[in-house]
Amino acid sequence: MTRVRVTAPRSAALPAVESREAAQASEVGQVFVRSLIRSQLRLALVVAGGFLLILAAFPLLLAVVPGLSETRIVGIPFNWLLLGAGIYPLIGLSAWFYVRTAARNEARYRDLAGDQ
Amino acid sequence: MNPGVAIAALAVVSVATAVIGFYGLRISRTTGDFYVASRTVRPWWNASAIGGEYLSAASFLGVAGLILLSGTDALWFPVGYTAGYLMLLLFVAAPLRRSGAYTIPDFTEARLDSRVVRKVTSLVVVVVGWLYIVPQLHGAALTIRITTGLPSWVGSVAVVIVVCLTVVAGGMRSITFVQAFQYWLKLTALAVPILFIIFVLAGTGTPALSAPAVNPTGLASSGAYQNVSLLVALLFGTLGLPHVLVRFYTNPDGQSARRTTVIVLGLLSVFYLFPTAYGLVARMFAPGLARTNQADALVLLLPGELVGGTAGDLLSALVVAGAFAAFLSTTSGLVVSLAGVISQDVLGGEVGGFRLAAVVSAVVPLGFAFMTDSMALAGSVGLVFAFTASTVCPVLLLGIWWRGLTDAGAIAGMVTGGLLCGGAMIAGALAGAANLAPWLAQPAAWTVPTAFAVMVVVSRATAHRIPATMARVMTRLHTPERPLATER
Repeated sequence: MTRVRVTAPRSAALPAVESREAAQASEVGQVFVRSLIRSQLRLALVVAGGFLLILAAFPLLLAVVPGLSETRIVGIPFNWLLLGAGIYPLIGLSAWFYVRTAARNEARYRDLAGDQ
Repeated sequence: MNPGVAIAALAVVSVATAVIGFYGLRISRTTGDFYVASRTVRPWWNASAIGGEYLSAASFLGVAGLILLSGTDALWFPVGYTAGYLMLLLFVAAPLRRSGAYTIPDFTEARLDSRVVRKVTSLVVVVVGWLYIVPQLHGAALTIRITTGLPSWVGSVAVVIVVCLTVVAGGMRSITFVQAFQYWLKLTALAVPILFIIFVLAGTGTPALSAPAVNPTGLASSGAYQNVSLLVALLFGTLGLPHVLVRFYTNPDGQSARRTTVIVLGLLSVFYLFPTAYGLVARMFAPGLARTNQADALVLLLPGELVGGTAGDLLSALVVAGAFAAFLSTTSGLVVSLAGVISQDVLGGEVGGFRLAAVVSAVVPLGFAFMTDSMALAGSVGLVFAFTASTVCPVLLLGIWWRGLTDAGAIAGMVTGGLLCGGAMIAGALAGAANLAPWLAQPAAWTVPTAFAVMVVVSRATAHRIPATMARVMTRLHTPERPLATER
């Protein structure tokens, strides 16, 4: 068995990565990169904003509708169900939507950048 | 509970951890293996390992205890811990994987092309890691004291010894297997006892307490400011945790980093149902546990309280095993990432240096743990998240998404956030929890925006310092890995 000794710094760029960057060094390439970054940031902000809005709506709902927090379902208070279990499907749904759309943004970028 | 059973449970977890660590050792030979498992870990393994590493003493013991004490207000803790991972997915996961860096200091150095930024980031990361290990050791001390009657220090020392042995022997490759095993152990150790308890309660028809007793301590609920500030800390703090970030480098590419994160979100969502159930069941059936001033031990004591007998002892043993898995996995994850930073920046980056650094990273917080008193676990971990959100999070978010960030801006923002949040934590510790103003108890709501603002303003003022490599690095962070040539 061979032992490999590697020295610092480990952060040296990977060779495959260099070619990816070189392909996009032109001015046109940079336009595509900027538009990809902008669309990914917009997507992330929209998903995060939507999630936080719904999250904020939960306690508001409990405060506005009287008696809702005293309602029990199978012996469990409704507000506990909502905050203790109801938020997780929402998180999962946001994550699924984001991953799908982010991959689509990248595919569109590949199509554009490949056409050069 | 029976001390012999508890000690047996601890021994089994420690031996299992060491054995899996040793098994990993046989396939861990290169420096790459040591640091990031050679990036060949499968998504399910990797996601289980991330879950195992992330679910700390605060999640396993603290959340249930806090829910018992303060009810629905404490439900924001598990929600925040999970939603923090959503933010990580949205803003950090894929770009960070694509950066090709191994640690947060590697990332900031590459992005800002500055050695000084690297040093400052390393310092911050080491502080965060040490702050985060201390509550784990407090949790271990509490568990040992409650379940075996041995002195508290035995627990902290045992955790440090097992972690040092595992990390020094196998590095990250064995750590990945150990962590994945420990996620499933933790889930089983929480789920089986509480399901059994609910089954027994339903079978015997034990009546739940009437509404007034459901608030056992009569504590006033915390205000909206505290809840919002806590959420800010948890949502943004997760982004910057060093042991969480290093895990993303074990994915082969950015898209698989995203997929892994989605699996992690599922694993966390399932896990956090159970501490919530413990808190609620304790409120309805055993509110006396809150009055003994040891709410953090709720998860350990509930099976004995509500089931009792041999079945209660066995269930308690399972919970103790899970708790120890939590301390071991989070501590070893932190030690690995801290050792990576320390060995590179102080000792020159060889495997021997990594081992020495691992021991240093584990022993220093042990000293802190001896010197400080244990506060509520979920609360003290919440403060660490606030510190991370005020320092590492702004530099990561702006570094990934904003072209205008400069080295001067990054340093000014990290130092400001660190001083403000650290100052609030020290002031809070000196003043004591009882007479603490809300804005000092939960500083994230003002320290995080301040850190961001300082970083942006100083970067704007020093715009001539934007590194020449910026466009190249931004391309690397955001473009998909597959080479364009093979695409068509």
